[in-house]
Amino acid sequence: MARLRDLPLVDAAVPATATFAEAVGRLFAASVPALAVLDEEGSLVGVFSERDALRALFPEYLGELRHTAFLRDDPAALDRRAEAVRNVPVARFARALEPLEAEESETHAAERLLHSGEHALPVCEGRRFLGMLSIAALCHTRLERRERG
Amino acid sequence: MDILAAAIFAAALALIGLEWVHRTKVALAGAALMVLTGALDQEQAIEAVDWATLGLLAGMMVIVGVTEPTGVFTYLALRAAQLAGGRPLGLVFLLSFVTGILSAFLDNLTAILLVVPVTLAVADLLRVSPIPLVLVEIFASNIGGTATLIGDPPNIMIGTHRPELSFLDFIVNLAPVSLVTLAVTTAGLALVFRGRLRIEPERALEVARLDPSRDLADRPLVVRTVAVLVGTIAAFFLHTALHVEPAVVALTGATVMLLIAAEDVEAALERVHWSTLFFFLGLFVMVGALEEQGVVERVADGLRALTGESAAAQALVVLWGAAAGSALVDNIPFTAAMIPVVDRIQGGEFDDGLWWALALGACYGGNATMIAAAANVAATGVLDRTGHRVSFLGFLAVGLPVTLVSLAIATVYLLLVHV
Repeated sequence: MARLRDLPLVDAAVPATATFAEAVGRLFAASVPALAVLDEEGSLVGVFSERDALRALFPEYLGELRHTAFLRDDPAALDRRAEAVRNVPVARFARALEPLEAEESETHAAERLLHSGEHALPVCEGRRFLGMLSIAALCHTRLERRERG
Repeated sequence: MDILAAAIFAAALALIGLEWVHRTKVALAGAALMVLTGALDQEQAIEAVDWATLGLLAGMMVIVGVTEPTGVFTYLALRAAQLAGGRPLGLVFLLSFVTGILSAFLDNLTAILLVVPVTLAVADLLRVSPIPLVLVEIFASNIGGTATLIGDPPNIMIGTHRPELSFLDFIVNLAPVSLVTLAVTTAGLALVFRGRLRIEPERALEVARLDPSRDLADRPLVVRTVAVLVGTIAAFFLHTALHVEPAVVALTGATVMLLIAAEDVEAALERVHWSTLFFFLGLFVMVGALEEQGVVERVADGLRALTGESAAAQALVVLWGAAAGSALVDNIPFTAAMIPVVDRIQGGEFDDGLWWALALGACYGGNATMIAAAANVAATGVLDRTGHRVSFLGFLAVGLPVTLVSLAIATVYLLLVHV
């Protein structure tokens, strides 16, 4: 039976001292929707996802509003927000998340991804970060394995 | 046993006031302790629950919960901001009155949660701090909620407890004084905040360019839900003539709403604030125990001794006492405890003046501190989450004067009209 360590984990991580802009650049380049944020010793500090980037770049009140069709872009305000967060360490935007363990099952990972609302979760072995597991990677691997089997 | 019951209730009030534990957990734990210690038995506990209050609350939660996704409330709040035309005074007054009116006919907690997010967006576009506007809305929600039987939880409890007081009685006796209080306090707040609400003309133009109707995507659904909402409010006005209790009106409105406007019943019922309903349930059991143990009677006797037979003194003690208690704890548990006290003070006679004093005191007292009413906690919570923190003392500095002015108006009103 496959364990999470055997899945195509993506080495998508940034140091906690990386800037917000560097982290967003890494997210843009990576094939996963979230990055692991690591301390100097390589231990997991938290996760920085596309959603966290969105929250930082757009007004906080969007999370409170249920209706936004009336809103128009306010380019000057959006530019100001972007400049304000550009060089802030990414650790400020990272959220603490319980990682998946390397020996856990695919089914358990599927349940965690479903219920956490995250699109990718970090996989660790003890304190060591192994990589990010995305929903797409989990589903794709399952299909591939079925086809081969 | 009476001392134990009083101690459990006092401890629960303190914990609710301090907010160390969620208020629903406190109320349920207090209720369980009252039953387990024998302060009242299981049958008495069930009898102590005012099911009509719970029904009215639940019904209104469903009605508003189904209407809210249509975007109609966002439309109203945004139109109010646009009508101000960039004039700070106009903005303050329009937001205040829209919040006040919504609070009167929905409930103040719901109203504030509908209006505040739109206010944040408008303030952002206008490049002004949202804090003064949201504070104005909080005060307006508590004052506006005072105007009707369904506007604020203390009124719901009073109205369902005393069937002699109809929806129309609340409007006739509380709406005029609430309107005056709202106008006076809003004018004062506009004066205080005028320096923080300077709006540049081009920013006002940005708000004017917004199209509030864009969120009203499903027009037939808007028409259906608004029709049920308006129909329910009309039925509240007529409930005495129709010989139905307000709770029946609300639950019937909710049922019609579910039938004609809610495709997914589960989703609609998720909008019911279950923690609030269980909070009330726990409170009713605790207060039932206080009644059973004679604590309520002794408090009422003490108040009667303090005020003599003077109706004016009784009304003012109830008004200011309810306001002080609500400010320190939370107006819901305080009102729950005061209702049987007012019953006892009246003895066998029914005097509506004391009930209006309790309603005005509990609702206006809700403006004094950040924890005094659920609307305050919810709105300052939204401010906090969006990076605009209001401290306890910062709130008190504005809330206390607003409350004192409101209570002064209520005092004059009660003395002139009801005593």
